[in-house]
Amino acid sequence: MSLSKKSTIIVENLRKKQMRESISAGKRLDERSLDETRSLEIELDVIKKANGSAWVKLGNTEVVAGVKVETGEPFEGLENSGALIITAEVLPIASPHIEPGPPDEETIELARVVDRGVRESEMLDLSKLVLIPGKIVYTIFVDCSVLNVDGNLLDATSYAVVSALASCKLPVFEIKDDKVIDTGKTQEPPITTIPVSVTTVKIGDNLLLDPNAEEEACMDARLTITTNSKGSIVAMQKGLKGYFTLDEVKGTADKARIKGEEIRLKLREWIGTGK
Amino acid sequence: MVQSRSLINESGKRSDGRIIDELREVRIKVGIIRNADGSALIEFGKNKIIAAVYGPREVHPKHMAQSDRCVIRCRYHMSPFSTDTRKSPAPSRRETEISKVIREALEPALILEDYPRAAIDVFIEVLQADGGSRCAGITAASVALADAGINMRDMVSACAAGKVDDKIVIDINDTEDKEGKADMPVAYMPNLKKITLLQLDGELSPTEFNTCLDEAIRGCLKVYEIQRSSLMEKYFGNEKGLKE
Amino acid sequence: MQEVKRKYVIPGDVVAEGNFKPLVNVFKNGNSIVATRIGITESNKDGTKVIPLSGIYFPRTNDIVIGKILDHSSLSWSVDINSCFSAHLPAQDVFGRDFSPAHDDMGRQLASGDVIVARIAMFDRTRDPILTIQDKDLGKIPTGELLKISATRVPRLIGKRGSMIQTIEQATATRITIGQNGIIVVSGRDKEGINLAINAIHIVEIEAHTSNLTQRIKQLLNVPESDIENDDTQINHENNETVMHDDKVISNDNGKDTEMMNSNGTK
Repeated sequence: MSLSKKSTIIVENLRKKQMRESISAGKRLDERSLDETRSLEIELDVIKKANGSAWVKLGNTEVVAGVKVETGEPFEGLENSGALIITAEVLPIASPHIEPGPPDEETIELARVVDRGVRESEMLDLSKLVLIPGKIVYTIFVDCSVLNVDGNLLDATSYAVVSALASCKLPVFEIKDDKVIDTGKTQEPPITTIPVSVTTVKIGDNLLLDPNAEEEACMDARLTITTNSKGSIVAMQKGLKGYFTLDEVKGTADKARIKGEEIRLKLREWIGTGK
Repeated sequence: MVQSRSLINESGKRSDGRIIDELREVRIKVGIIRNADGSALIEFGKNKIIAAVYGPREVHPKHMAQSDRCVIRCRYHMSPFSTDTRKSPAPSRRETEISKVIREALEPALILEDYPRAAIDVFIEVLQADGGSRCAGITAASVALADAGINMRDMVSACAAGKVDDKIVIDINDTEDKEGKADMPVAYMPNLKKITLLQLDGELSPTEFNTCLDEAIRGCLKVYEIQRSSLMEKYFGNEKGLKE
Repeated sequence: MQEVKRKYVIPGDVVAEGNFKPLVNVFKNGNSIVATRIGITESNKDGTKVIPLSGIYFPRTNDIVIGKILDHSSLSWSVDINSCFSAHLPAQDVFGRDFSPAHDDMGRQLASGDVIVARIAMFDRTRDPILTIQDKDLGKIPTGELLKISATRVPRLIGKRGSMIQTIEQATATRITIGQNGIIVVSGRDKEGINLAINAIHIVEIEAHTSNLTQRIKQLLNVPESDIENDDTQINHENNETVMHDDKVISNDNGKDTEMMNSNGTK
């Protein structure tokens, strides 16, 4: 699905003015403070046919992620690792501005940035997902469908992927006579950390967390920072034509760490483990 | 189709415990997608499907517009995690055909002349697939169209009937679809009494065909009652009647 | 002619059997009048119709709408009027007859994102709506709280001869500009009053189909009992009038235009 050119949401000038005035007074049009994220709700195991799934609501942004586990050949150069593939699609049901068609650059960026956070944090210990080194490994697909768009798809999709992966049950495959057998048993996934993505946007000289669609339509720049359970930064992505000063970047990184830990606690509550 | 094992036991129960004229559990929730003009989530057995309607709205590209009527576009799509083995996100030939027959099943109910030069988009996303996803998709789409306030001559309700173990049963499930002898999805306008979708896989004698069609329509009427109560619930809540 | 009971309907429901004249959102099928929308049936001496509870705004000539400037060509602005067509505001409407694209800077008059209240000057099946802002109280809206409700609820929000909207304006000391397209601008000095008005508008939107709504809104806004007049009408004021802020009522002869945009049995 592509967010087409005509999709650029034009915010009414009188709204824009109110937004700027309100933000410089420290409050947003939806009554949030600048550092406040929207309510996060997660429902797990919504897709029984998947090995794990999560339906995430971040404000009015809704994303479903489903985990499918198969076996296959490892990626080239990663012979001793399971394969992890993360995709995202912004469905045409999700917004009046989306036309059916192959994914455009924004949607591809979405999938890649979410993938980067999960992969670089080594959330899944892929070395434990090898059946025959160099030949047969677990292939884990996490596919995301965005159901309703109201800003910050990056964080919402990331939370969906992380919750679906952390709560999934991996089938136990065994090798017998060079053939893969599904034993019918399941196992916990080898989770090492919970990566949390926190997106900050810049409107004028102000920095806001978790933008909604209207705020995104007014933003000059965006910075997504993913931290792991230790509080280290594992992935970043700056977006849009605006810029950040050095101090802004450092401040944003600190905030992403603090906010990230808050959200990590929430995610753990929803997932229901101490992982 | 050749059936290799019996799918109905001695006490008349089918593979999922239903009797021959029993629907799976059906639930419809109206207005699930905030951004859409109309929407519905249907759970039909293990099917979990969202239908969303946008429109009538401007046609892009403009040359697709028709001067005397509204254009209706339909996309039936399955999420990669919706099936037992992962499905590629790219649309398959099957999805393209189903999109077409669903559009043609809905079109007779829509008063498209009321919206010249505009377009109505119907998007059906299968989050979890079970047998009968096209029927469930049509049923949800019809509710979403009514929710969007598009002028309609009637609702469209859909249900399949088929042949399993030499018996005609309604609402074919996944196993019966794959292993049974015949599967016949039907969409029906319940008040106008008109059939808008009819497909058949498998062999039916003339008598069996007649029974099968009658049973499918009985199924459609049951589905219609659920569509109706879901819309009444959303728009009128607990207020069952009007105060005079 | 026999009485027709008011009832809740969905598309396909029989509204009435017998010799009734189909008006809007219904069609004649044999001896039956059938609903085409979700809504409430209504019958009077003129005929039978359904007052719809969902659906986008469909333009009608002479409707007052609130729109958002999208962009402009060399001769007109394109305006989002929350409908299935974007509307056009001709540059001549703003600059007058000697408008010259070479000399007049359209962007200085109205820019992308500006909000205007306008009248639909022309619209039919063959072309997009043409707007004008050349009447009293039309033009750019510089400030105010913008909200959007379903266009089907606008008649109920206005109320009989503007009763509902006047009640809300007076009790909250606000000015409320209503577009028939469901876009509303609330302005006033006092933030609290504005919020109260917005809250009341949302309640009207959600409970449009219920009885005694005006009374409940008055209670909500603490309007003294003595002011409560009997108004238990439902949303049945369609096609009657278009009310702008305060008491300025712009009469509206759109009855003659309704035929083309509603399914009305003649087909």
